[in-house]
Amino acid sequence: MSARALLAALAMSVIGAAAHAETLVVTNARLWTAAQAQPVDNATIVIKDGKVFTVGIGIKAPAHARVIDAKGRLVTPGLMNAGTQLGLVEVSSVGDTTDQAVTSGPLGAAFDVEYALNPNSMLLPRARADGLTRAATYPSGSANAPFAGAAAVLRLSEGPDILDRAKAAMVVVTGGVAAAQHDGSRSAQWILLRNALSEAKRYAQVAKGGPRDQLLNHLDAEALLPVVGGHEPLAVFASRESDIREAVKVGDDFGVRVIVFGGQEAWRCAGLLARKHVAVVLDPLDDQPATFDQMGARLDNAAILDRAGVTIAFSVPGIQLSHNAGTGMREAAGIAVANGLPWAQAMKAMTVNPAHIWNIEDHYGALAPGLDADLVIWDGDPLEPGSAPTTVLVRGQPVSLTTRQDLLRERYAPGHRADAWPPAYRQ
Amino acid sequence: MTAGRRRVGGLVLSFVFALSACATDGAVALRHDDSHHDDSRHNGPPREDEARAPLPFALDAYPSTYKPLPRVDTLITHATVLDGAGNRLDDADLLLRDGKVVALGQKLSAPPGATVIDARGRWVTPGVVDIHSHLGDFAAPYVQPDWSHSDVNEVTDPNTAEVWAQHSIEVQDPQFSRALAGGVTTLQILPGSSNLFGGRTVVLKNVPATTVQAMKFPGAAQGLKMACGENPKYTYGDKGRFPSSRMGEIAGDRDAWLKAQHYEHEWLDYEQGHGHEPPQRDLKLDTLAGVLHGDIKVHIHCYRADDMATMIDMSHEFGFQITAFHHAVEAYKIPELLVQNHICAVVWSDWWGYKMEALDAIRENAAFVDAAGGCVTMHSDSAVIGQRLTVEAGKAAAAGRRAGLTLPPEHIIQWVTLNPARAMGLNDRIGSLAPGKNADVVIWSGDPFSIYTHADEVFIDGALIYDRKDPRHRPLDDFDLGQPAQEPRS
Repeated sequence: MSARALLAALAMSVIGAAAHAETLVVTNARLWTAAQAQPVDNATIVIKDGKVFTVGIGIKAPAHARVIDAKGRLVTPGLMNAGTQLGLVEVSSVGDTTDQAVTSGPLGAAFDVEYALNPNSMLLPRARADGLTRAATYPSGSANAPFAGAAAVLRLSEGPDILDRAKAAMVVVTGGVAAAQHDGSRSAQWILLRNALSEAKRYAQVAKGGPRDQLLNHLDAEALLPVVGGHEPLAVFASRESDIREAVKVGDDFGVRVIVFGGQEAWRCAGLLARKHVAVVLDPLDDQPATFDQMGARLDNAAILDRAGVTIAFSVPGIQLSHNAGTGMREAAGIAVANGLPWAQAMKAMTVNPAHIWNIEDHYGALAPGLDADLVIWDGDPLEPGSAPTTVLVRGQPVSLTTRQDLLRERYAPGHRADAWPPAYRQ
Repeated sequence: MTAGRRRVGGLVLSFVFALSACATDGAVALRHDDSHHDDSRHNGPPREDEARAPLPFALDAYPSTYKPLPRVDTLITHATVLDGAGNRLDDADLLLRDGKVVALGQKLSAPPGATVIDARGRWVTPGVVDIHSHLGDFAAPYVQPDWSHSDVNEVTDPNTAEVWAQHSIEVQDPQFSRALAGGVTTLQILPGSSNLFGGRTVVLKNVPATTVQAMKFPGAAQGLKMACGENPKYTYGDKGRFPSSRMGEIAGDRDAWLKAQHYEHEWLDYEQGHGHEPPQRDLKLDTLAGVLHGDIKVHIHCYRADDMATMIDMSHEFGFQITAFHHAVEAYKIPELLVQNHICAVVWSDWWGYKMEALDAIRENAAFVDAAGGCVTMHSDSAVIGQRLTVEAGKAAAAGRRAGLTLPPEHIIQWVTLNPARAMGLNDRIGSLAPGKNADVVIWSGDPFSIYTHADEVFIDGALIYDRKDPRHRPLDDFDLGQPAQEPRS
């Protein structure tokens, strides 16, 4: 097997330098690194200082290393959900626990979610326990449509330091539903977007601020500078084919990297998206004509896009968006596979693909030397939503898999019914 | 009757129509569950007047006109069968004749003219029953005018017991065919949860039709949708109206039941020969009295354990049976109470945290209620989940197994077949593959609880209604005609 040979060779080249302290080794793994079509058995992963040091077959655990025996279970990179509101939402219907949108005031493109992130959110242990180690978290609306503001990437490590990448993309919301909410036409969205990008370009060329004939305030204009400068992608929510094509044109006309979100009709322009290297973050469960913008929604969207060479990743809206960001995404990926997407491509859409889309592939995505050791040991196929991790590492650190829900489960498990009483009164 | 005709005018026409419908095809929902009801009240003095108006509570002037599709006798062979009643048979055959299950066993022989389907390597179950759906009354696409005036909630009064979900159904809702592709053969469509009393439910067969009557399950009892907790108090409290609190909700419920008790007694007195004129009919009170009289089943949207316990006390105060708590995310905190009161927990596998009353939802909810001997039913309440209720059951069971419970496939299939059928009073017709039951059957490409499995063939009353590999045997609603999603598969 070529993947096996590759891994073995890789291991031989670096094993001599295997480390001493701060070393963790995962042995007896059925390993999928993100580079192969199929997992390989009997693999070992050596982790040093939070990074993958080496992966391979037949590696001996370095002396003094802490060893985790995977017992033949599947080991994969930690998963990444390409679109959540983790860190921004606690109880969805309770406004004082949610920070994903702003509806009045001066902030349009300048709205940025990075200052609201809550590392102690109840949702983060849930996401970790379901196999996520990274997540994009995006704003859903601002006071200046069509902009929603700047999204961020989280690493789901324990402790206060969960911001992986700030201002990871500028989010724009297009389409009939958004237009109707502003009593307008989707054409106005594109005019305003184009104007905003034009103004931002002009703004960059003006030495000093000051009064001028422009629609953007200085905050919004400054927020768009990295976008027009080509450093921050434009994440465009677009469902209808016409809007997806329009987003591609904006990218061409302004030299901006575009990511399509939603993309229910993306399969109808798969060739164009592949040629233009426009990635699509989609929900594989979305097969309903829920609005007139997605009359073409169907279950083989992911498979068609992948076959055409489009980079895809997943985000599942609704209740699964953040609260079940792990299982919701894995279930959706399984449905994509049930409808024609190869298993390894679905796994890539939860690892290396979102890493590329969100521009963190220099440190996350695959189990390859030098990258952060985000790793999951699974008790089954991750694409079956009933499967669960037995071990999760984020940057080489094992994290707790206990959620608040687990504590409720223990309290009310059959045979423990009096456990709402204080501990002294329990049997 | 003549007195009635003079007194209530046009309404009497519906009495007559309902009576004739009842006489001709038996499709009218009359009383189905009298177990908790004192029947002595019906044994009054002999009636001197044959023309007395009947009890109006459960009369159905909008009865089923359902006719099965043309069917062929079918023998399904060599399948792994989960019969819906707790049994698993490997390498088994299932014979469907004249729209009914005839035999389930090994080495059955096909009658002359029967179609034989080799199901080697595949699994067979009863048709999936979704006890909580809004297909048709919350139809796709969700267009802008419907954002504020959808057909799922009549949000003008906290008590709209008089409305019927049946009257909101858009039969061309494209979501029906997608549920069918997930093996769903029977659905209960409910009004929404904005109101204390949301209105009457309707049970549909998942068949293509141009009228709702043609989808309506013949003889199925209607339900009453009630709601407790956050939704009604926010809906009306936000408008400065009653109720704006949980205690207000309970007061509103009790007030309505008191009026219904009075109304029921008026009608029972009249039925027993007292007075010459029937009481003035009231559509709201018809529904509530129908509950008290045992004709209409009670389905309550309720999340928290304390809310459910309060509703159970209310059912004792007024003498009605609660059939099921829907959503019931804290059912695991009070499983014995549900068992003692013969109430089903109708649940999701993993929804949590989207509102305060859903904060304590755990994935073991279904498994823990099941372990206490309770009735568990999965539900969708969502056009997405409604396409894969078996996966929902599989997820809920996986959580239970991880907590140490034994939940084999033949057991958990009941969560989407026999249990909901029993809760809807239809377990004599659907929900398992017992001989004599309707031939509602799904042939799955594999283990029905796996994410990778498809429903290959679906039968309703013995008719092949869906074939994944044959577009000629797949319903296409009018709305989907010519739409881009229907272009040939790649």
